[in-house]
Formats: sequence, structure tokens, C-alpha cells
Amino acid sequence: MESTSPEIHSGVSAKCRDDKVEELWSLTSFFGYRTQTFVQAVNLLDRFLTIMKVQPKHVPCIGVCCLHIAAKMVEEESNVSPTHELIRISQSRFTVSDLSRMEKIISEKLCVDPKVVTALTFLHLYHSAVASLLAEREEIPSIGRLEAQLKACLCRLVFSKAKPSVLALSLIAQEFEALQSATLLKIIQQFQKHLRIGDSELLHWKELVTKCMIEYHSSECNKPDNKKLVWVVSRRTAQSLQTCHFSVPGLPTIPEMSWDESESEDSCEDLTSGEDSPCGSLGSDGEGAFFPSSFHNCAEG
Amino acid sequence: MMGDRPSPPRAMSSAPTSSPSVDKVDGFSRKSVRKAKQKRSQSSSQFRSQGKPIELTPLPLLKDVPAPEQPELFLKKLQQCCTVFDFMDTLSDLKMKEYKRSTLNELVDYVTVSRGYLTEQAYPEVVKMVSHNIFRTLPPSDSNEFDPEEDEPTLEASWPHLQLVYEFFIRFLESQEFQPSIAKKYIDQKFVLQLLELFDSEDPRERDYLKTVLHRIYGKFLGLRAFIRKQINNIFLRFVYETEHFNGVAELLEILGSIINGFALPLKAEHKQFLVKVLIPLHTVRSLSLFHAQLAYCIVQFLEKDPTLTEPVIRGLLKFWPKTCSQKEVMFLGELEEILDVIEPTQFVKIQEPLFKQISRCVSSPHFQVAERALYYWNNEYIMSLIEENSSVILPIMFASLYRISKEHWNPAIVALVYNVLKAFMEMNSTLFDELTATYKSDRQREKKKEKEREELWKKLEDLELKRGLRSDGIIPT
Repeated sequence: MESTSPEIHSGVSAKCRDDKVEELWSLTSFFGYRTQTFVQAVNLLDRFLTIMKVQPKHVPCIGVCCLHIAAKMVEEESNVSPTHELIRISQSRFTVSDLSRMEKIISEKLCVDPKVVTALTFLHLYHSAVASLLAEREEIPSIGRLEAQLKACLCRLVFSKAKPSVLALSLIAQEFEALQSATLLKIIQQFQKHLRIGDSELLHWKELVTKCMIEYHSSECNKPDNKKLVWVVSRRTAQSLQTCHFSVPGLPTIPEMSWDESESEDSCEDLTSGEDSPCGSLGSDGEGAFFPSSFHNCAEG
Repeated sequence: MMGDRPSPPRAMSSAPTSSPSVDKVDGFSRKSVRKAKQKRSQSSSQFRSQGKPIELTPLPLLKDVPAPEQPELFLKKLQQCCTVFDFMDTLSDLKMKEYKRSTLNELVDYVTVSRGYLTEQAYPEVVKMVSHNIFRTLPPSDSNEFDPEEDEPTLEASWPHLQLVYEFFIRFLESQEFQPSIAKKYIDQKFVLQLLELFDSEDPRERDYLKTVLHRIYGKFLGLRAFIRKQINNIFLRFVYETEHFNGVAELLEILGSIINGFALPLKAEHKQFLVKVLIPLHTVRSLSLFHAQLAYCIVQFLEKDPTLTEPVIRGLLKFWPKTCSQKEVMFLGELEEILDVIEPTQFVKIQEPLFKQISRCVSSPHFQVAERALYYWNNEYIMSLIEENSSVILPIMFASLYRISKEHWNPAIVALVYNVLKAFMEMNSTLFDELTATYKSDRQREKKKEKEREELWKKLEDLELKRGLRSDGIIPT
């Protein structure tokens, strides 16, 4: 789809990076981290991959590490998941000590700044600005919706090449276009002038964002095939799963004849033993009421 | 083979030490804790009616006699085998018991290989001999609290003879020369009724033979089929609604499985009624684990024959969903998965809402095995494809409990599985997932806010109370 070069840097393909970022989003969601944690983690990841020569096999560790660093910066201490839990849930192969070593490396190579300005920062700025400029009755998309869209965009390598201010503006512009409000479009133009963003640049990114959003909203299921998740079950459940297979019984099938029984004289044979059967005597008609009335009440209960 | 403890004649063998309450962990009993070796107890209801020993004149072997004389000799041997021996008295009539045993053995071989031996006169003699041997009042269970899931069954003491009688009868029924048109005079409804009663035998070997016998009879006697079905019906209904005791449910269900498999389409109304009024309620019985495999097989067979029955079946299972027995819940989940494995997408759509509401409850169960079994559905490819197609309906139902237990469940393995499921949902429908996450988060925030406000309100009230208290305490008594 994108015409950018397939590699960030040696060894790591765009697909590899994209898959990793999607996974980071899963983990962010699962642990209840904020969008900001995710955005900063992706920021760290992309920057690291740009300046360092990395082998693809190290990308999982780097990814999780960036998430952990970001979480420590953004989240409250009690909310940050311990590293062993992070590793267990993400079904990663590396160890806790691997992770802490990687943490050191990343902190050394990158300037890890909790106040780094990202597209999210701009998104929030724009959103609050627009909200304050508008009269009460005008509705704008919620910040939550915009954040989700930003998250979707960040899962594609191409958008890491955009300037944060431009990316955020293109996102909002794309949303507002759908609303077709003249006021909103005017506001966009004002922002654009203020930030000195060229028309062609904005158009370019808006197009890409629109394409991305179409895919995001489509009902097509996209399964990243990078890793099949492991299903670990307890011994007892595993045992019951094995025995659960209801195998075909040893008795051969008895086909039902279409002219079965009802025609045959034997079904009318009287019951001579005088057995006390709960359905009472069958009389001369072997069929009778199939369900004796005494059971009707019970069956309903 | 026979009990080697000398036991008093005519008495039931002494009951084994009454079963101690076996330690149950999570409702599942630990095999290791069961008493180490239960004495194999035997019982019988055939007993010596008189004091004098039984005498049978030994007859020549069939192979030693020229062919034309064999049919008559055959009849004589059958008549001799009508004599029944007391096996609870281990010392009596040993020679005669052995003679009968070898005669029976001979008859079994004879029926298997011979041609032209089956005259019309043979039929009533065969049925008479079999009836004399097998039809008897079953001895009552040794211990009052015989728990079929826990205790060793009491075996039939006269099995050395009984087994051969059953073996003989089966080969007789399966013989090439067997003619149902002659046999139906003797194998009639009364015979079948008595046969069915024997299914309550505690001896699993006997029930296994009975299963084969009844299966063959059902296959060959078209005139008896409706009767057999109706009687089985009665047995089950009595079992479910009156006694909850019958040892042969699994065997009868196995036979029914082969019958259901052979149903002609379109299904008769009688069969559909049976499914809804008998098979589904069978799930409510306490001892379900003893026959669940066979029951589930019957259910799935029904659904393969007529998929439109899916909705009533699943609604029935949901109605009877176990509320306090986790072992049963796991069984239900297993059965449900088997049903979903064969379900048609159009049927799935009809029951997906109530179904996943129940699954959502199972997934949140504090019993980890129930939660685990429910979560494992997401490892089933076909079920996943159904969920994918309908994710917009299913995801909202599952979301809240999944998200909650990812934070709150005590079992780390469950939490890890929940991640798998959430990830699957995320990939299926990202937009909906993000929406639900946002809603969930804002709901939680609102709740937190409310809680905070409530706390502050209480604090204010407390302060007020304190102030009031101070004032009243500050009054100086005059």
C-alpha cells in the first residue's frame, strides 16, 4: 500500500515492526494502560529501530521493553505491571533479566523524556482548542474516538514518518470532513496557517489517513500471522478434553424402515403379563398415548 | 472366579465396609484417596430351594452323534440347561455346575458353526432355557448408599453360567438360520419387558451383554420396535422424575444412539418429542457423569439428522444449566462444544445471544476448571469462524466479563487465557473493541467518581455528627 521503503533499518521489515506495534496495543489494552503509554512506547520503538542495527529476533524484547519504560513514565506506580507478568501474558521467550538489560541499553541510547511531544499531545491540544472555540450545540467527535484512530494509524510504519503536528491535524481534518461543517473546516485552516503546514503536505497525509481509516472500519478480520497464541490448560482440563471425544459406539446403526411397526400386527399384541407399567395397560392398540398424562405435569416443571 | 471366601448359603455377601466419605477436591474425588482395595463383592438371587443335590444325566457330545440325531440331542441339552444352580453356596453341586458349564460351552460352539440344526421346535426351547437362566429378580444392592460413581459394583455370582447363556443367545440371534417370523411367537413383548428390567443389574458385564441382545432384537423384530422405544421411554422418565436410580442408562443410550443414527428423514414427531421430553431432562440427573458420553452422542446425532432441532436443544440445555455442580458444568461445556462443532450458521445466529450470555457467566466462574473450559472454546477454529461472523453481537456480551476477570481473577492461568481471547476479539473487530473499551473505561470512571462522592458524603455526615456530639458534650451541667 505504502510506497515507502520496506525497511526502517537493516534487518527489520515494516511488517515486523507493524505486527509488533499491534501486539503492544493488545498489551496496552489488556493491562489498562493509557493511550499515552502506547504512543510513547511506539515513539521509543521507532526511534530505537532507526538509530540501531537490530536483528528481527530481538524485536519482541525491544517492543515489550519500550512498553514497560513508557508505562513507568506515564502510569501510576501501582498500575504498572511487573515484568514477569508482562512476559507471561505476552507469551514471550526472553527472561526478566533480558528485559532489564534491554532497558538499560534503550535508556542509554535514547533520550527518554516523559514530556516528549507526540501526535497525541497535538491531538489533545487541537481537540480542546476546537471545543473551546465552538458553541455548545456543535458536536465534535470525542477525544476517545480520535485516540483510537491515532492508535490505528500508529500501527503502520508509514505514519511514523509524519510530523506529529501534521499527523494529528490530518486526523482531525479527516474526521471533520465527514461532518461537513463549514465552521470546523475553517478552524482547521486556521490551525494550518498558524503551524505553517503546507497544503500539499496536509493533503498527502490526509489521504493516507483516510485509507487507513477505511481499513480500520471495515469488518474484515485481519489476523497477524506472526505468532500463534499458545493455549495452556491445566492437566485436569486437558484430560477431560481427551476423553471428551464422543467416539462412535460399537453398535452398528439400525436403519429405520419407512413402513416400520405401525403396519405390523405384532405391535397390537396384548400385554399378558399384567405388569404394573406406569403407562397403564396398552390395550389393543400398541401405540396409545405416547406420553402418559401422569407425566405431563412433571415434564413441564 | 467364584468368591473364595466361604460365605453362608443363601445370604448376600457381607457388605464391604460402608464407603467412607471420600475426600472431594473441587467436587471431584481423588482416586488416590479411595479405599485401597475394595473386596469384590458378589451377590445372586438364585438359591437352593431344596436340600437334595441336583442330578443331571450326562448326555453324549453333539459331535459324537450322527447328524440326524443332533437336533433332538440339542433340545435335550437345552432342557438340561434350564436347571439353575446356587453359586452363593460355593461348595454345592460342583460336579453338576461344571457339567452345565461345559454343556453351555458346547451349545455356544454348536450354534456358531452348525447348519440345519434350527428346527421349529428349537425356538421355544431356546427361549425357555434363556428365560430360566437370566430372568430373575435382581438382588438388592448391598449397601443402601451404593454410589455408582464411587463404589465397586456388586457382581453376579452365577456369572460363569450366565455369561455362556448370554453368549449362546446372541449367537442364536445372529445365526444365519435364525428366522424372526418363527421367533416372534416366543420373543414377544413380555420377554422384552423382562429383558429391560435386567438392565438394572449392577454387574457391568451383564449389562454389556444385554445391550447386544436388545440391539439385535430391535434390529430383527420390526414389530417390537415401537414397544421397545416406549418402554425405554418409561424407564427414563421414571429414572428422571421418580427414582434417579437405574444402572443401565448408559447401555440403553448406546442402543438408542445406533437407532437415532438410522432414523429416516423427515424425523417423526414421536422422535422429536423424545428428544425434548426425555433426552434433555436426562441432563438434570445427579449421576450424569455415568452416561454423559452416550447421552451427548445421542443429542449430536439428532442434530445431525435435523438441524432445526438445534434451537430447542440448546435452549433446553441452557434452562437446565447446572448452578451448583462444577463437575456437571464442565460436562455441559464439553457437550455444548460438540454441538457447536456441527451447528449450521443459520441456527447459530438464532441462539447466539442466550448462549454467549451463559458462556460469559462460565468464563467468570471462580471455579477455574469451568472458566478454563469455557475459554478454550476460542481455540476451536469452527467456533471462532462463527464468532467472527457475528462479532458485533457476541463481543458486547462477552466484553465486560472478560475485561473484568483479566483484572480480578485469582488464577493466573485463567488471566493468561483471557488475554488470548481478548486478542482474538481485538483482531476480529478493532473498531467495536475500541468502542467497548472506551465505554467500559468511562463507565468505570463514572463509578469511581460516584463512589468517591459517596465516601465524601459519609465523611461530611460523620463530621456533622462529631460536631453535634461536641456541642452537646460541651454543655456544662448546672
